[in-house]
Amino acid sequence: MNITNIKRVSSITILSVLLIMVILLATGTGAMHISGMQVLAILLNKAGIHLPVAYEENMPGVLWMIRLPRVILGVLIGAGLGVAGASLQGLFRNPLADPGLIGISSGASMAAVVMIIVQSALPVFQHVPVLNFYVLNLAAFAGAVITTLFIFRIARTGGQAAISTMLLAGIAVRALCESVTGLMTYLASNEQLRSITFWSLGSLGGASWQTVAGVAPFVIIPLIMLPRLAPALNLLALGEREAMHSGVKVPRLKSLLVIFATMAVAAGVAVAGIIGFIGLIVPHIVRQFTGPDYRILIPGAALSGAVLLTVADLLCRTIVAPAELPVGIITAVIGAPFFLWLIIKEKRTIPA
Amino acid sequence: MMLCVKDISLSLGKIKILQGVSLEAAAGELYVVMGANGAGKSTLLKVIAGEYMQYQGSVMIGGKELKSLPIAAQAHTRAVLSQQLTLNQPFTVEEVVSMGRYIYNAHLSATDKEIITYALKIMQIQSLRDRTYPTLSGGQKQRVQMARVLAQLLEAPDLQATDYTGRKMLLLDEPVTGMDILHQQLSLQLAATLAASGVLVVAVLHDFQLAAAYASKLLLLKDGRVYAQGTVEEILTSAHIKNCFGVDVAVLEHPHCHYPLVVTAATGGLFQSPALKALKVL
Repeated sequence: MNITNIKRVSSITILSVLLIMVILLATGTGAMHISGMQVLAILLNKAGIHLPVAYEENMPGVLWMIRLPRVILGVLIGAGLGVAGASLQGLFRNPLADPGLIGISSGASMAAVVMIIVQSALPVFQHVPVLNFYVLNLAAFAGAVITTLFIFRIARTGGQAAISTMLLAGIAVRALCESVTGLMTYLASNEQLRSITFWSLGSLGGASWQTVAGVAPFVIIPLIMLPRLAPALNLLALGEREAMHSGVKVPRLKSLLVIFATMAVAAGVAVAGIIGFIGLIVPHIVRQFTGPDYRILIPGAALSGAVLLTVADLLCRTIVAPAELPVGIITAVIGAPFFLWLIIKEKRTIPA
Repeated sequence: MMLCVKDISLSLGKIKILQGVSLEAAAGELYVVMGANGAGKSTLLKVIAGEYMQYQGSVMIGGKELKSLPIAAQAHTRAVLSQQLTLNQPFTVEEVVSMGRYIYNAHLSATDKEIITYALKIMQIQSLRDRTYPTLSGGQKQRVQMARVLAQLLEAPDLQATDYTGRKMLLLDEPVTGMDILHQQLSLQLAATLAASGVLVVAVLHDFQLAAAYASKLLLLKDGRVYAQGTVEEILTSAHIKNCFGVDVAVLEHPHCHYPLVVTAATGGLFQSPALKALKVL
């Protein structure tokens, strides 16, 4: 067993254990306190295993209907943001790449904000309030996917997406989306403004088993597929030419990376709004411990993203309880100083 | 014929880089390409490596048209060591060398691991195995990349055990850049050993002494065209070198050397080249 394998097995094990602990803690914390053992007992009870732990009668209801969907949604969205960030940093060969770079967030925001404004103008939505929620989600998802594909399409020449063109196109398209978002914000009423602000800062408050079921396939497919691309991503770090020489079908790899990264993020953005910083910092944190090997980095980023968002959501619903902070504020408050610390630390170790 | 390049031309933008280049190289040869900066050496190598698909003419590798070979088949047949590789992520030396096995297995088998260890040993970088790549010196990095390319090429952890005739080709673009004299010699000895096992090695070199000592055939490029090709003795003449590089040289025989020695002429003679004459005027 060489160092790479030891690093891989130990970091994945530690992160998995950490994730389970965080999930137990987060599902137990709230207006009604449920201890970790009680959470475990309630969960295992469903599977037919009876632990000798006493719990109150209404605890399973709170756990199953309120806490668990929210925690699982956080785990899914966090994992999606983490893997998307790691893969995009590999695709762009740039550690500053994040899902925002290829227009996922700006496209989703634009579509969502337009939808918020349009919804109140159309009477259909007032009569069927359930529609509101789903249409907003769908619009955000479509906005993310269309923007990303558009940027990808512009950058494609001769069957290959030129990475530098993609970055530049990303900047331009993002600016365009943000101007539309800005215009809508300007046109919005006070009430719409609140909804826009809340949406653009992200929240897991809308979690239910339905949203979990809606998001799950979009996150799980990339979670299965992206690790398979890890060896090719490693070669891509040497350059596109070297990757090609070594047998990587580079154009196909790039398309798959963009598609899976968009899938992993877009569904989450659609139900929970924009949650910043996780896609950017999670791969950096993981890299500190595992090194740059994508075979470890991608699963590591999935687990760490899940841990980080679960913790952030736990904080945002407990520190001002019974009110809630938007989760994007917490991720930025944890993420930004941490990122600064990483930059300063890297500046010291790597000579300019 | 392992490699058969027929009348290829390539323009990048409006600039003609290669014009009507043809060459034939057989399995087991160490085929050296030389020429002044900008003569088209690297581009020729890149065309053979499958990087430019817009060339005119034909490139046949092992009897098959290059354009019809899928990426995977190309990678099974040839390995490439390019110039100016940048890798700034802190992969370990072992991880970088392991990347060479990509085409064979998604997960490294026991044989893969033996080949990786063997490649590290051949390039004398076992002691660097757990070092991160960005912390290495230029010459060490070059040796790591050479080991990676070797890992891609080899089918067994032994240079001589397998007969690669007609199946493997190695392209080296200035492989010894930044290496100390010992590792320059070792790298070319390695190339010669691979050639002896049937691998066709095509190398771009700048050093006349290395070329003279190791090449089985030489190609001189000038302004994107083939200036001359043939054996070391046919190509390394003072007239050819003067015409291609604009430098006066003397080609000497040495009693203990089996190859011609190319030495730049004394200072007085050097100033006969137009470029340097101009300098003297200044």
